[in-house]
Parts: sequence; C-alpha cells; structure tokens
Amino acid sequence: MLNESLTGPEAGGTARRRRPKRTSRAVLIADRIADATITVGGLMVIFAVAGIMVFLVEVVVPLFTGGSVGTHTQYRLPPAEGAVLYTAVDEYNTVAVELGANGRLAAHHLRTGAMVANVDAGLGGADITAFAATLAGEEVMFGLADGSVRFGSVGIPIQVLAANGMPAGLRRLDERDATDGEAVYTPIAGGQVRKVALSFKSEEPQRVSDRPIRLLDYRLGGTVERPTRAFVTIDDAGAVRLSLAESRVNLLTRKASTRVSTSALPPLPDGLRPAFVLLTDKADQVYVAAEDGTILRYDTRDFDDPVLAERIDVLPGDLRLTAFRFLIGEQQIVVGASDGSADVYFRIQNHNAASTDGYSLVLAHPLERQPAPIVKVAPSKRSKMFATADADGNIWVRHATSEQTLLRLDAGEGAAGLVMSPRDNGLYAVDSRRQADFWSISVPHPETTLGTLFGKVWYEGYPAPSYTWQSSSGTDSFEEKFSLVPLIFGTIKATVYSLLFAVPIALLAAIYTSEFVQPRVRAVVKPMMEMMASLPSVVLGFIAALVLAPFVETWLAAVFAAFLTFPLSLLAAAYGWQFLPLTVAGRLSGVPKFLTMAAVVVLAGVLAVASAPWLEDLFFGGDVRAWANGDVGSGAPLVFFLAMPAAYILSALTYDRLAGRWLPALVPSGSGGAAKAKSLLRWLVVLGGAACASAALAAGMTWSGFEARGGMVDTYVQRNTLVVGFAMGFAVIPLIYTLAEDALNAVPEHLRAASLACGATPWQTAVRIILPAAVSGVFAAVMVGMGRAVGETMIVVMAAGNTPLMDWNVFNGLRALSANIAVELPEAVRDGTLYRVLFLAALTLFIMTFVINTAAEVVRQRFRKRAVQL
Amino acid sequence: MDAAATTTRDAFEPTEYHQAKSSQGEIIEIKDFNLWYGQAQALHDVNMTIEKGMVTALIGPSGCGKSTLLRCLNRMNDLIDNLKIKGRMTMDGMDIYAPGVDVIGLRKRMGMVFQKPNPFPKSIFENVVYPLRVDGVRDRRELEEACRRSLEAAALWDEVKERLEDNALGLSGGQQQRLCIARAIASDPDVLLMDEPCSALDPIATSRIEELIDELRGTYTIIIVTHNMQQAARISQNTAFMYLGRLIEYGQTEVMFTSPFQRRTQDYVTGRFG
Ligand SMILES: Nc1ncnc2c1ncn2[C@@H]1O[C@H](COP(=O)(O)OP(=O)(O)OP(=O)(O)O)[C@@H](O)[C@H]1O
Ligand SMILES: [Mg+2]
Repeated sequence: MLNESLTGPEAGGTARRRRPKRTSRAVLIADRIADATITVGGLMVIFAVAGIMVFLVEVVVPLFTGGSVGTHTQYRLPPAEGAVLYTAVDEYNTVAVELGANGRLAAHHLRTGAMVANVDAGLGGADITAFAATLAGEEVMFGLADGSVRFGSVGIPIQVLAANGMPAGLRRLDERDATDGEAVYTPIAGGQVRKVALSFKSEEPQRVSDRPIRLLDYRLGGTVERPTRAFVTIDDAGAVRLSLAESRVNLLTRKASTRVSTSALPPLPDGLRPAFVLLTDKADQVYVAAEDGTILRYDTRDFDDPVLAERIDVLPGDLRLTAFRFLIGEQQIVVGASDGSADVYFRIQNHNAASTDGYSLVLAHPLERQPAPIVKVAPSKRSKMFATADADGNIWVRHATSEQTLLRLDAGEGAAGLVMSPRDNGLYAVDSRRQADFWSISVPHPETTLGTLFGKVWYEGYPAPSYTWQSSSGTDSFEEKFSLVPLIFGTIKATVYSLLFAVPIALLAAIYTSEFVQPRVRAVVKPMMEMMASLPSVVLGFIAALVLAPFVETWLAAVFAAFLTFPLSLLAAAYGWQFLPLTVAGRLSGVPKFLTMAAVVVLAGVLAVASAPWLEDLFFGGDVRAWANGDVGSGAPLVFFLAMPAAYILSALTYDRLAGRWLPALVPSGSGGAAKAKSLLRWLVVLGGAACASAALAAGMTWSGFEARGGMVDTYVQRNTLVVGFAMGFAVIPLIYTLAEDALNAVPEHLRAASLACGATPWQTAVRIILPAAVSGVFAAVMVGMGRAVGETMIVVMAAGNTPLMDWNVFNGLRALSANIAVELPEAVRDGTLYRVLFLAALTLFIMTFVINTAAEVVRQRFRKRAVQL
Repeated sequence: MDAAATTTRDAFEPTEYHQAKSSQGEIIEIKDFNLWYGQAQALHDVNMTIEKGMVTALIGPSGCGKSTLLRCLNRMNDLIDNLKIKGRMTMDGMDIYAPGVDVIGLRKRMGMVFQKPNPFPKSIFENVVYPLRVDGVRDRRELEEACRRSLEAAALWDEVKERLEDNALGLSGGQQQRLCIARAIASDPDVLLMDEPCSALDPIATSRIEELIDELRGTYTIIIVTHNMQQAARISQNTAFMYLGRLIEYGQTEVMFTSPFQRRTQDYVTGRFG
C-alpha cells in the first residue's frame, strides 16, 4: 500500500505536460509596481517626519540668533550750541529730537539728518544745571541754578491724516518723507498720511533749594486726573531732597496749581561726591551713586522719615562708576564702570542682610565687559534690553535677564547721546563731534538663550535664580518667564506616577493571559484590552477631572486603603484556593474561579471603604488631607507604606535563606497538602516580617526626627498627580499589556514545555523562564507605554491642574509640556517669543518621545536577535 | 488536612494498593485510549501496560503518534488547544486524567526528554538543577552534587565541567540534547520519557546514552521513542510498534524483532518501509 504511493510520475506512465518555469510578465510588472509604490510611500513617510522636524527647528532657531542690523545711516549734524540734555526718537523712527541746554528744541530727519524744525522751547533763558526724564521719555524736568525745578514735557505727537490732509508745498526729505518745517509727513498704507510733529510744554518753576540743583531724577505716578510727580534733587551743597508735587485744577478758574512738599533725606556721608541719583516710580527708594562705586540706598516708603537703608561698594579699587540707570520696571539698575563692565543689580528680600529694611541690593547679572569705559546706557522702553556705549565708540545691545550680548556696533567715537527706539527696532547715537549714527535693528527674542530656557534664571524680585514658567500677567512691565524645566519636570512626574500605577497591572495582566488562561479565554480578553486603548483620551481626562478627582478627594483614605486591601485580599484568596481539594478546584477552575476572583476584588473594594475611617483615625490623625499637609499625625505611615514593597522582597529573601539553611522542613517543596500549608505559613511569616520591618523603620525614622511628608506627599489639591496617574494609567495599560503579552507569547513553546515537564508550576515557569526570556520585549513595551505617557495631552490638560511646579508631591498638580502647548498656543502671537518657545517645547517633546521609542526599538531589535537564537 | 488530601487523592503518592499493583510489575496502564487534535484522530484505541523498571521502546513510522502518546503520559498535551481524549491512563493504578489530579506532582515523577533539544537560555548549571530549584532546593552543595551526578550520567560532565556558568545555548546540538537528559534525570524521577533522545547525537554519545539507559534500567522505568531499530533492539526489553495512530503490536523485544505476529511489524523492523 505504502509502496504503491511511492511510485513516481514516470512510473505512472502518464506523460505530464511540463509547466514552463518562466515567471510571467504580469507577475513581474505587479512586482515592480508594488516595489515602486512601497518605496515612494516609505520615502514620503520619512520625508514627512523629517519635514516636521525641520519645520520645528526652523521656527525655534530665531530664539537663539540674537539680533541683526538692517540699515545703517551716518551723517554729521550741525554743531550744537551748548550741551544736549535730551535725545529722543519717535515710534516710527522718523525724527530724532534734541533738547539743548540753551533751551532750543531741534528735530531732524532720522534717515537723512536733514533739519526739520528748530524752535525755542520757551524756557526764558533759565540757567539749566540738571535734567531728568521719565523712562517713558515724555516727561522731563529741569533743575536750575537758582535752586528751583521746572516740569516740562517733550512730545512727538503722531497723527494719521486722510490723504487730502497733506499740506501743499512740502519740502522733500527723501523718497518717502516730506516736511513743512514743523512736522514730517509720511504716506502710509491705505492712502493715508502720518504726521509726526513736535510739542513742548513747561510749567512754572518750583523752588526746592536755595542753591543750584546738581542732580535730579523724576517719576510720574498717581492717576491721569490727579498725577503725583515725585522727584529727588541734590543741590550744590550735597543736600538730598525728595519732593512730591501734586497738581490740582481749580474748577472755577480752570487754572492748575501745583503744591510741592519736600522731605530731606539723611545727609550724605562726608566726602561722598554724588554722581547719579535714581528714584523708583512709587518713590519708595532713592539710590545715590558716587563715582568711586559707593551706592546709597534710601528707604523712602515713609515720606516724612526717610532712612538710609543700605550702603554698598560695587566697584573694587579705583575703578570709576560711569553709568547708573534703571531698566524698565525700575527694579534693575545697570552699573557701568571705567573698566568697561556693565552689570545689573537689583534689590531682593534678604532677612539677614545688613540693611535696615530687610532688603539688599545684589549683583544679579554680571554681563560681558566692553573694551573701554562705559559712557552711556540707553534702556529699552519695552523690555529688559539696553544699549551701552563705551569711550571707544563700541555700542553693544544687551539683555539683562538672559545676560547675552545681542549686537556689537561701532560708532567710531564715544557717544554723547544714545537712545533706543520706542519699539526696540532702532538705535540712535550722536558722538561729541556731532556725528550721528542710526541703525535699524531687529532683536525679536532678546530674552531667550539655551541658558534661560533650560537653566536657572534670576528674575527681578526673586530671592535666587530659579526655574520658572510664567507666560502672562496683568502688568506691562512684567517679564515673561520661559523656563522649560518645570514643564519637562511635569511631564516626567506625570509619566513616573502613571507608570508606577500602570506597569505592575499591565505586566501582571500580560503574564496572566499569556501563561495562565486557555487560548480561548485569551482570544477574548486580549482584543477587549486592546479596545480599551481606543478609548479617546479626552474622555479619560474628562472622567478623571469630573468624576475621579472629586471621588478621590472624598474617599482619599479609602484609596490609600485600597493599595493594601487589593493585593492582600487577592493573595489571601489565592492561598485559600490552594486548600480546596484538587477535585473540587479542578471542577471550579473555569467560570466559578473567575467569579470568585471578581467577588474578591469587590470584597477588597468594600474592605477598603469600610476600613477607611478606621485607618484615617488610627494613622492619619483623623483627616488624610490635613495629615498630608503636615498638620496632624506623623510621617510614619508614609514611610511604612513606601518601605513595604522593598521590605516584603527582603523579608522573602531572608526567609528563604534562613529556612533553607536552618529549617529545611519549612521550605515548601513538592505539591502535597503539607507543602501548601508551608507556603501559606511562609507567606504569613514573610508578610508579618515585612510589616514589622517597615513599622520599625517608620518608627525609627520618626523618632530620629525625620519627616517623610513634604516630598512625595504634601498639601492636597483636587486636580492632582494621583488622579492623573490613574487616568493616564488607564490610557497606557492596554498598550503595555498588548506589547508585553506579545513578547511573552513570542517565547518559544518548547521552553514552556521544558519547564512544565520539569515539574514547575505555571507561575514558576512564567517567572523563571518566560519573563527572563522575554525581558527585553517587556522592557520595550514599558518604554512604548512611557512614550505614550510622555506625549499624552488631554488627560493632563484636564486633570492635572496645569500648575508649572517642581515638586514630587502626588497630591499636587503639574503642567506637562504637551498640556502647556495645548493650553497656550491659541494665545500665542504668531512668531512671537511665546509662540517659538512653545514650538521648542514641541521639539523637546518630540525628542523625548523619539529617544524613548528609539531605545524601545533598539532593545526590541536585540530581543528579536535573541529570540532567533532560542 | 493531610488526611483529607489522601482521601481525595490529590497527590500522586503511591498507596498500599498502588504498591501491590506495581509489585505485579506494571507501572503504567493505558486502556482504550483515543485522542483527537481537533477533528483529526491521532490515537486509536491504544491499549498497553508498561512494566516497572523496564525499558520500553516505541517504534513506528513518522507521524504515527509516538510523541503524542508519550506526551499524554505526563499530560504535556494539556497545553494544546482543542484536544480531546477518551479512555484511561493510569500510573500506579491512579487515573492520570481524573479531575483534580496533581499534574505538577505527576510531572515531577516523570522526567521528559524532548525530540528537539530545548535548554533554557540560562547557564548550564542552572539548566541542570532547574527541577530542584522549582522544588525549593537552595542548598548549594546539594545542587552542585546533583548537577555533577546528572551531567556525568548524561556523558556531558567532561565537556562542560570547566564552563558550568556559560550559557547553555552556546552548546552544540548534541551537547544540548545531553544537557536536557541530565536535566530530566536531575530530580530523580520514577519514569523517564525519552522522545528520540539520540537523534542529534554522534555514535559515541549515542552509545554513552545507551549505556546510561542500561544503567538506569531497574531503578527507572524508561519509555523511549526511537527510529533506530538496532537501538531499540539493543536497549529495550519491550517494544511497541505503532502505525497510523494504532498500536499494531506490543511485546518482548526479542519476539518483536525476530518473529512478530503482524506482517507490518516485520516489514517495518526489517526496514522494508518507514
Ligand atoms: N499539536 C498538534 N496539533 C495537531 N496535530 C498534531 C499535533 N501534534 C501532532 N499532530 C498530528 O498527530 C499525528 C501524530 O504526531 P506525532 O508527533 O505523535 O508523530 P510521531 O510518531 O512522534 O512522529 P515522528 O517520528 O516524526 O516524531 C501527526 O499526524 C501529526 O500531524
Ligand atoms: Mg515524534
């Protein structure tokens, strides 16, 4: 019978037609087309990813490029009669205005230097000995030789006129602008005309001293209706006075009257020759600086009783202090010196300072030194940027907070006048030979460097350098704080806590379905778990924020208890199950076993809820949230809780070692009833030992004064990391589960058979053989889960509270990179700094997930190589 | 507790009845045993008894169900989905397929060597002592002793004694197979199931294994599947010939190889087909 079937076709005698062995054309063409399509498709995917990367990088790069110069014009101005007190440029870089000590106000066309207007300011030939202007520039003040002061304002009012509002007979200045000898007219978009004119007003002199005023500073405060004008004067004799001028309009006569009240500051120390004086805009601080580098800070919060708060020397040796100016916000002072240094100081709260008011002036930002002595400092009117000119004609544009030098310009000779355009887009300098330079500049993101984005930055008012993210606030002089570190930290925190919750569950579930259930059950369970992954994360976030967060808040003690009752009940039930007679257990091994497990889970939940009040009273001083805050109870329960897993492992190892050596009778071996009793005994002893060890550790640490709270556990807020951990856990569990399950399943069947044939239990097989063989695949699964958690957005947006903090407290919120992008991008101005920083956040996120996924893939490749070997 | 365990017979520990039975020389009894993989029937009405302390050879052409029958003895077939069995199989008088049988205990009494070598991706030492490890043995000396004894018995000791900590996957195929034999006998089982243990071995190692089987005879009951007629004739006392899932003939090896009842047996043992 068999022999017959062995007979070949020849022997059969039927001459079969030989099939041609050529591959048909159609097959070849189909193969070619498939080849081309797949190649093109694959390349397109690669290009798309690379394109996104390039796009992100392109948006981000301008953050780090400093500044650039557009045009540079240079011309010589007619010689000035006497000193120039004040130089200003209008918002559109049309004219430059100079106010001379001779009382003349001159405006010239900024781009050509052509004179536009030259009028008498109407100061009546007063002998001006001191001058001050507010930082915004419009309000000026003159100190006179007769000891009086005079308020004034220099304006460059701008009007937009209809096209027919342009007067006839204008003199052309250049191809764009024209003038009538009073104002400059510029045609602008929409057929309109912009008129840039000049205005000057001054008030009657107010006498404050009977000696000539030498130094002066002036600030405008109060409201528009009732402005308070504060100024500080230093006269010839070195008397420092702080004055407040209040203007009132008489309703009947409509005449404004000004009342000045003056308070004398403590006399200057002997021999101190004041060179600069500065006043803050709330008139609460007065700074007097001398040429030798001495700075006196007066606390003038009490107008009637000013005190000398602090005296420091900021310059070593015989260096001279050559510049002393506020930056916008009037907290930060630029100190220029004869060695070319230009450093930024500000006042911080410091309780052990040598000052009387608990503040001290500190060097916050040492900046790059210029080659020659600093002669002028010009602050920006909108940012912490400023320009410094040195005696050699170098003009550098710098930024205080980011400490970077943005532009290095060369004017040929030391500047006599230096001003930054109101919009930070131009820089105007006039030197002593009356040579003027105008640079149109572009410095879009002066505040960002790698250092400010990823390092600690010392912001004004902060006690020390810190990582801070704060992108918006109410006030104008507010400085946006862009540190990505709290966001990266938030991402890591959310990831760590959610993985802490998800990884054990996902891995145990994977081991369970791959090693313990029949393939038929697995065929149902696995797709169901995978369906969980398709739950939109916005739904998870929504549930987390609106259901889970309030629930956890009310049942916090029960949540704590659940961490104990769930594992303990399940393990106890498992050990109990062992004692069922095998015949019974065998009969119940299907659905009844499943139902029992479900019942045990429910029971554990009930137990957690039931034991919660009791637990709360016993360990948490009656209120978990107050306990977390550190108000009641001690940190011991936390130590106990955290030490328990490690203590359990140690205890198990110790038991096995000791019992193995001294009491072999107690080592569970074989599979009889005695072995079961022994293994239950072992579990109880190990558990008890672990509990005792952690309790001892907790007691010891509490006794030695260690407070465990304040780190991982602290003040409770409703939207917290615990909730995020749960919700995000649910998002990553299916992912980790599926991949880990696949990895476990990929372990060749013959290893499983070998282990079982040796008499190993399925659990021993899983732990000793399958898991080690699949470890890299399991690791890769965890990494992919981590990648998902890092990129997850909606859950953290909705449930994390979005507070950019840097602490590990589980009960506090966080702000993740992804959530930050989602929340802030709609508000970010296109191509603004925030916009680009958000793109940098995106790039950072991209790199983080890329690194994690690559690591996972590398490990997986190795795993594949090893799997081939098996 | 223990009393309850004995009455419900959840452990595979021989009772007096069992001992009495085995004194008659039988350790395993297979009765009307049928097995289906899904729809396909792989074993048809197999009836045989295995004598204690004897070497029983299973022979037959490829695909006739030898491995299947062997795997049924220590219930390794439990892992296979869609498997159906009918009939009885007893060891020491106790039903192997009764509900509630302690399968783990059963497997501890039956060492198994698979057709393909399947060492664990662990060190050689850990491979050999694995059955002891899962039994909870921790004493290093006991483990080393067992390792040495088993490796010597499997004729591998001299080759690997210098590198017990190396990964077992670095061994050659034949060495791996001998390692698996060492592993199977490390825990001192009662029955040794061997599925073509020598198919990957050179003649020297093969003869060493044959010697080993000869030595173990008496203490262990050995059931060995082999395609090598000479080997079956040399080492076994009883031989079973299977064909297409049926036990065609079973008897003393001399009889089987000299004057079998069945024509097909004769054809097969004389190499006319198979
Ligand atoms: N897991 C399985 N699922 C389905 N059919 C199987 C399975 N294992 C074996 N079979 C089938 O059962 C029959 C017997 O196979 P078995 O492995 O027992 O043969 P064998 O006698 O050991 O052959 P060989 O000498 O080649 O090892 C074969 O037809 C085989 O195809
Ligand atoms: Mg086989």
